[in-house]
Amino acid sequence: MQAVAILSVLLLLLFGAWLAAILDRAGNALVAGDRVRTAAVRPLHDLAAHLSRQTTTTEAPDRLNWRLAPVAYLALAALGLSVVPLAPGVVAADFDAGIVLWGACEALTVVVVFLHGWSANSEFPLIGGYRYVAIGLPVMLISMFVLIAAALPAESLSVAAIVESQREIWNVVRQPIGLPLFLLLGLSLTLRGPFDYADSDDLIGGTRAEASGAQLAAWQFARLAMLASVSVMASAVFLGGYLGPVLPGALWLILKSGVVLAVLIAAGHLLARMPPSRMMTFIWTVLLPLSFLDLVLVGAELLIWG
Amino acid sequence: MAVAALRRLALRGPVPVHAAIGTDALAAVDDLSLDPRISVQQSPRHAAILLVAGPLRDEDRSDLCRLHDQLPHPRATVFWRTDPAIQIADPPVVSVEDDAAATIASVYRSLIEEGRPSEPDLQPDTPPNPWRGKGDHGQGGEGMMGGTPYGRPMAMTGDDLRDGLQLDPYTAEFGPFLPVFPPGLKLRITLQGDVIQFAKVLRPPLPQEEQSGPSAALRRIARQLRLLGLTGQAARALRLASVGDGKAAGVRRLRRLVKWSGSGQAIPPGLGRVGGADVRDRLAAWWEVASGETAEARAPDRTLVDLLPGLEWSEAMLVLNSFDIATLTGMCPIEKREDKAHSEEEKDAPEPHDHDGHQDQMRGAA
Amino acid sequence: MTALAGATIAGTAAALVALAVFLIGRKAAHVPTTDPQKVPLLGGGAPETHAWQRYHVRYYSMTLLFIAFEMEMMFMYPWAVVFVKEGAKAMVEMGMFLAILSIGILYGWREGIFKWQ
Repeated sequence: MQAVAILSVLLLLLFGAWLAAILDRAGNALVAGDRVRTAAVRPLHDLAAHLSRQTTTTEAPDRLNWRLAPVAYLALAALGLSVVPLAPGVVAADFDAGIVLWGACEALTVVVVFLHGWSANSEFPLIGGYRYVAIGLPVMLISMFVLIAAALPAESLSVAAIVESQREIWNVVRQPIGLPLFLLLGLSLTLRGPFDYADSDDLIGGTRAEASGAQLAAWQFARLAMLASVSVMASAVFLGGYLGPVLPGALWLILKSGVVLAVLIAAGHLLARMPPSRMMTFIWTVLLPLSFLDLVLVGAELLIWG
Repeated sequence: MAVAALRRLALRGPVPVHAAIGTDALAAVDDLSLDPRISVQQSPRHAAILLVAGPLRDEDRSDLCRLHDQLPHPRATVFWRTDPAIQIADPPVVSVEDDAAATIASVYRSLIEEGRPSEPDLQPDTPPNPWRGKGDHGQGGEGMMGGTPYGRPMAMTGDDLRDGLQLDPYTAEFGPFLPVFPPGLKLRITLQGDVIQFAKVLRPPLPQEEQSGPSAALRRIARQLRLLGLTGQAARALRLASVGDGKAAGVRRLRRLVKWSGSGQAIPPGLGRVGGADVRDRLAAWWEVASGETAEARAPDRTLVDLLPGLEWSEAMLVLNSFDIATLTGMCPIEKREDKAHSEEEKDAPEPHDHDGHQDQMRGAA
Repeated sequence: MTALAGATIAGTAAALVALAVFLIGRKAAHVPTTDPQKVPLLGGGAPETHAWQRYHVRYYSMTLLFIAFEMEMMFMYPWAVVFVKEGAKAMVEMGMFLAILSIGILYGWREGIFKWQ
């Protein structure tokens, strides 16, 4: 069963990244008022184009860390996803403290993105890497608060237990502000839209500005895979994961994750990005207190209605 | 075999193009970016074709060579509406007047299918400075400091504008082909972290046609939207700009979409205040013009070089792209000639300190 | 198989997929980078020094506050598990803890640590 789960994790990442790339293009075309040409093979064209170009380096880069950054990014996406139950009893890594492992993956993602920016020894990636840390760290706190709030009714840090605790009522109903706050983390982990402080256009691509060929292909793929990973995690913790009538559990999880993925991509296209200092103030003074409130509300709810 | 299949697959996607924009070519490149056969890339490392659009200045030629060499292989250059500024023996340079997209697509095809060799470097294959030989690791100097590892010196310390901490300033020439800058603008910028400490105009922006009217306003709005991460909305603004009349309803819809993105709040109030108007005001005025109304033009009372210092990079880019090119050119006076300016720069730039911690002595000596 | 083995296999397999991307790229388009290709991107301009520097991290004071919250997480993990059992007592404890940390946020805000120094 566990072997099936591990294989499913990899397939989810692969096809999730593919779906994310298609939806991303469709979303962009929709916002641009363009004709939506959703060729399902289009992501493969881009991948092939990247792979048939030279992978350049810069003057004295930290080559090992540069090449390792996308590898570690993708590994973290898989590691984070491995704690999520894909169907009743089907989980790649059934940790008692799955939430803690997920939190570690979040923290290491910040490190990986920083390394990707730093190791090229070039100014634009460097700025992207440093300023991403300023946003990536506090957003991680927000996500941990809402995840803990989801763990309270389950009386466990295991993601499987959290899914099971939602048999009567989904966490999105129990803590309505939890899901949007967690989705902000998704935007931040995958460097998208309003939280794209690492790879943005004002730095002509930021941490990926100097990446070409296979380096760029691996990095973009890892970003999309992480997006898939966050979507599955969000649907497991807040939308009841595999729980649902009639259809098999795994299908429910995929459907819910697809919806979350679409919402994340839409948010990335529709919301504007602030300068980093403004965003940092916004996170600490508005979003973080909101996540405290979320935790307190769930706590009070449990005390009153138990 | 497998490689050939990969190439065939690559050919079915759009052509990744990096644009070096010259005189009167910005609007044309904007329109070209809407072509489904083309995908305009911000970074030259992501592109296969270098598109040089519009005539350049003579002094931009060496920068063009530097940019050209940064593209990964296989690569090719297409000159559009200008004489080729660079000469390559084999393969011959492509020059086109009208249908750039079709030419780019055919050059890309022959490049990928290996009918056309990739363009060689235009600069000699040597490090920027001699460095090998001396030092424990061949860094080119003696002891911990000194020397030019890999042909470049390391940064030295200097005072910061905001909090006076002594960390390393980073000085470099940015442009004239930086996509976030107006075309042709070349600045010498000193950064501490991501805050601009000092800026000097080396070359002003190149003049661009169509400086007034709704279409020009929409193109400027598109540049701002891209800086705010709203690439889809920016493309929509460019599409509206490229159609002639009857765009009022489209502009209204776009404005509503942009309003819902929170872009009003994303730009800090009071940023880049010039002549009583900040970035937000200037953006609002463009929206007025885009919807067919008139907005009063305000004469700038500050120059670019005293506007930029103290700004964080993304704020600075918002400010830089909040002026039309004619206004910005007026804010970039160059008193000295280029060659003279080079020797003057050292005096204007903040004094760099030495690495070895004897800053006080250094200051005393200076 | 234990949970740890499962996570390790999943992570390693994903890393191998990413390495495979590099291998394919190497097979398809391996060209050594020349010196002029290596010049860092500045839109045609040239840098004077290496980009690696003692970088001025503008948000350094924020990171101190961040560490306080990270430590709080340590307390929060076990707390989440026993919350329902302990009831109001646990609620009050965490409320106090968060209140103290919130004062930290307010103080930091007043001192301007969320600005780019």
